Amino acid sequence: MTTVDERARELTPPSTPALRLRGVSKRYGPVVASDNVDLDVNHGEIHGLLGENGAGKSTLMKILLGLVQRDSGTIMRGDTPVAVRDPQDAVALGIGMVHQHFSLIDALTVWENVILGDTGRIDRAAACRQVEEVSRRYGLPIDPTARVERLSAGERQRVELIKCLRRDPSVLILDEPTSVLTQAESAELFTVLRHVVRAENRAVILISHKLAEITAATDRVTVLRKGKVVFHSPTGDTTPPELARWMVGRDVSLRAEGAALGMLPVDGAAPSGDPPAQTTAESPSGAEAEAVTPAETTAEPAAGAGSGIAPALRLRDLTVVIDGVTVLSELSLDVAPGEIVGLYGVEGNGQSTLGDLLSGLVLPSSGTVELTGRPVELERPGALHRAGLGIIPEDRHSSGVVLDMSVAENLVMKSIGDVSGRGFVSRRKMHAVARRLAAEFNIVAPSLDAPVRSLSGGNQQRVVLARELSAGPSVLVAAQPTHGLDVGAIEDMYQRLRDAASEGVAVLLISTELEEVMALASRIAVICSGRITGVLPAAEATAERLGMLVGGVAA
Amino acid sequence: MTASSPGAPSGTGRRLLGLLTPRPSGWQTPAATAVAVVAALALSSALITLTGGSPSASVQALFEGSMADWTAWTSTLLYTAPLLLVAVGACVSARSGSFNIGQEGQVLIGALAAAWVGLRLAINGPALLVIMLLAAALAAGAWAGLSSLMHRLRGVNVVVSTMLMTFVAQQVVAYAVNMPWLLQESRVGNAPVSPQSNPLPPSGLLGSFGEYPGLQINGGLILAVAAAVLAAVAITRTPWGFRLTMLGRNPLAAKHAGVRVNALGGLALAISGALAGLAGAVLLASPVGVNRLQPGMAMNIGWDGLLVALVARNRPLAAMPVALLFGVLRSGGGFLAATGVPSFLVDVVKALLVLAFVAPPVVVALARRRRSGGRPAGARREAAPAAEEAIA
Ligand SMILES: Nc1ncnc2c1ncn2[C@@H]1O[C@H](COP(=O)(O)OP(=O)(O)OP(=O)(O)O)[C@@H](O)[C@H]1O
Ligand SMILES: [Mg+2]
Repeated sequence: MTTVDERARELTPPSTPALRLRGVSKRYGPVVASDNVDLDVNHGEIHGLLGENGAGKSTLMKILLGLVQRDSGTIMRGDTPVAVRDPQDAVALGIGMVHQHFSLIDALTVWENVILGDTGRIDRAAACRQVEEVSRRYGLPIDPTARVERLSAGERQRVELIKCLRRDPSVLILDEPTSVLTQAESAELFTVLRHVVRAENRAVILISHKLAEITAATDRVTVLRKGKVVFHSPTGDTTPPELARWMVGRDVSLRAEGAALGMLPVDGAAPSGDPPAQTTAESPSGAEAEAVTPAETTAEPAAGAGSGIAPALRLRDLTVVIDGVTVLSELSLDVAPGEIVGLYGVEGNGQSTLGDLLSGLVLPSSGTVELTGRPVELERPGALHRAGLGIIPEDRHSSGVVLDMSVAENLVMKSIGDVSGRGFVSRRKMHAVARRLAAEFNIVAPSLDAPVRSLSGGNQQRVVLARELSAGPSVLVAAQPTHGLDVGAIEDMYQRLRDAASEGVAVLLISTELEEVMALASRIAVICSGRITGVLPAAEATAERLGMLVGGVAA
Repeated sequence: MTASSPGAPSGTGRRLLGLLTPRPSGWQTPAATAVAVVAALALSSALITLTGGSPSASVQALFEGSMADWTAWTSTLLYTAPLLLVAVGACVSARSGSFNIGQEGQVLIGALAAAWVGLRLAINGPALLVIMLLAAALAAGAWAGLSSLMHRLRGVNVVVSTMLMTFVAQQVVAYAVNMPWLLQESRVGNAPVSPQSNPLPPSGLLGSFGEYPGLQINGGLILAVAAAVLAAVAITRTPWGFRLTMLGRNPLAAKHAGVRVNALGGLALAISGALAGLAGAVLLASPVGVNRLQPGMAMNIGWDGLLVALVARNRPLAAMPVALLFGVLRSGGGFLAATGVPSFLVDVVKALLVLAFVAPPVVVALARRRRSGGRPAGARREAAPAAEEAIA
């Protein structure tokens, strides 16, 4: 089957443009989101689209999809200009998109989500069959009757893909598909994309901030900067550092770059273009030498290694049971002032529950959280915040921001009392605070009164960071803080986390990205199945040892 | 792991809420609304003609009954007051994301409590009225609060429970006015007794400013306007209102930011119940009725008040003119029946007008979202792509 397909591909020249953009522009008030963009997307190719946060990637794709109307320019199918006035036009043209933020409805099942928008009679059996058929064809295993709210990020991504692929699009757009995926899930996704492109001669546009993914997975690459195309090249002819420079317009530090590349700067790994998945996926098997003994690593996580500093954050025997499932089990961890502790593990091992717990959204069935030596009464709303804990939650849309409230309101959300006097909110004070924070944290927004919804993903993250750091926390928890950030913004985020630590804040970094943890943390705790399987000083942490702990070897 | 405020609307509900809540808008919405109102009026006159009436005579009657002279205005304003009270309450609860739709029952409970205080407690002087109003607010607030409790303890949906409690309230009031030991009117000689209470003593009546042939402003209206202004200020200007809005827009983020989501959601529900209860007391104590507790005395004020809030898109200040319009339709509607137009047509006209006011903003938002795409004025929602496809 593959051979036939490959033959077919050899017969049709791979470089017939599936879609051409000429001079496409779009402004939002003073913001030029797309500036005279020319772009060719060919059949049989994966086209990488890179750019900083707010560079206009999503906007350009929404124009292709008819969700946003361009101000000027032409879109051509082959050589014929086409009108894309609304999403129906795009569907008719065979353009399908998986959006940056999931657009599934939680309360519905997989098959219901997939057929959402179909007209005519609902045929459950046929829908399920179709889901299964598409899922088999592309190797995207999913249970069509499962409820979406129960699915992991990777599974949701699969549903989005199935929803898209079942319409048989000739151009498939993926907007930051991997920012919420584990490395194994990303690798799986790229296998599917390869198949879609090679065997079925479709065109794929892939937006990502991870340079290693772009270099590994794409055939050609285009870099956007402030809405303009600044660089365009076959992927083979360029290097990740070059791409990073084009994106940001300057050199970026090795570490941030390393993280964006998905490599380990500590190991001095060469930018070989290997998929990042391999670092973790292979390490457990490759490690046999230094077996990590439990005694050595699960010893009480004495903060600062006996330096005598009392921990600012002390988690003691935290157990969380949700729907009868033990998600966290007697988890203990200390973070000292001025220290960055990385909590590393494969997604779905209790990290997000820990994040929810530290956001005040989940209560433990047993165990305590102490901040600067005092136990926190977790049942009291806002107790963690008052006790000096700042948090960048993993899913900023669900608990980090209120999308329909303004940038200013979101910035003062937790300190509304501070900008009020005599029982009234002072808009003047609120704006003063917001203006200061927006400047300090480089938040780019149409205006301070614009809803947070209108900000690019990266800027929404900055709003959260600004709000949390402005409260002067003694502990900062950052859960997947660089998801969806561009390489420059990652660098900025890293710098801010380091600055916070050097000012004496205890930083707990929860991350599924090994490079990130290695780049920042001075100690690394590994979580597996809701318990800490080991804590290593960064100096002793090698990919092999961490890999074993991640696999629960030392549990 | 999910923090839900009482009756936190589902994803779809919140999306709907988003479309129905205020946001800066351009000229399209007013223009579309004007067109829709004209269309609704045209349709109404067509219906009137079809049922054998005369549109011009109907308009004339509507006008005479509601605005032609001071007496007409007085009666219009008497209806406006309870409508506005109910609407302001509905605004508060909807802003918090808990949809109370049981105002019709809460109005009755408020009236019941006020009647009991007015007829059974030996209080003299102006204190009586104050205590009656307080009792009405407290009783109806607690009645609505029950729904919040049911949600918290048993997970019962607030929309469903507030509505079903309306039927319970109707039974309770019917029981009260049929039991001599409770509130049924006293037997005079051998005359048959009706299922209603005795009339309130004069000290339990709401007074009016103004004398008969001229315009009379009843105390109930002053109460209602004060409530609207107070609610508007509280919602838009105070930290409390900020939290309320946050809760309505994203309960999870609100909880994260330290809002007591259950308490605040329950309070919002209780406030909306209390205001509906006040409306009940006003119906009882103002000259709009017969100053007796009667099972039918709520007269759909609770349902109409909800519509007022809907048209005003949950803005208490906007609810004032809308409540006035509904008052006009009510007082003029009575006159209309006299011209031979079937009285149900008044309801049809009202419904058409509600649609004419409610639909255009949604249509404009949807159209704008599809046309200029993006997120005009915050109308773009996370599930927009899904919605877009749903249209496809
Ligand atoms: N509806 C809108 N109204 C006003 N400005 C907007 C709107 N949509 C996007 N923008 C602005 O246009 C610019 C480009 O946004 P876009 O979402 O395309 O960025 P992006 O490249 O996808 O960024 P990210 O990587 O952070 O997702 C940003 O400055 C953003 O604030
Ligand atoms: Mg984007």
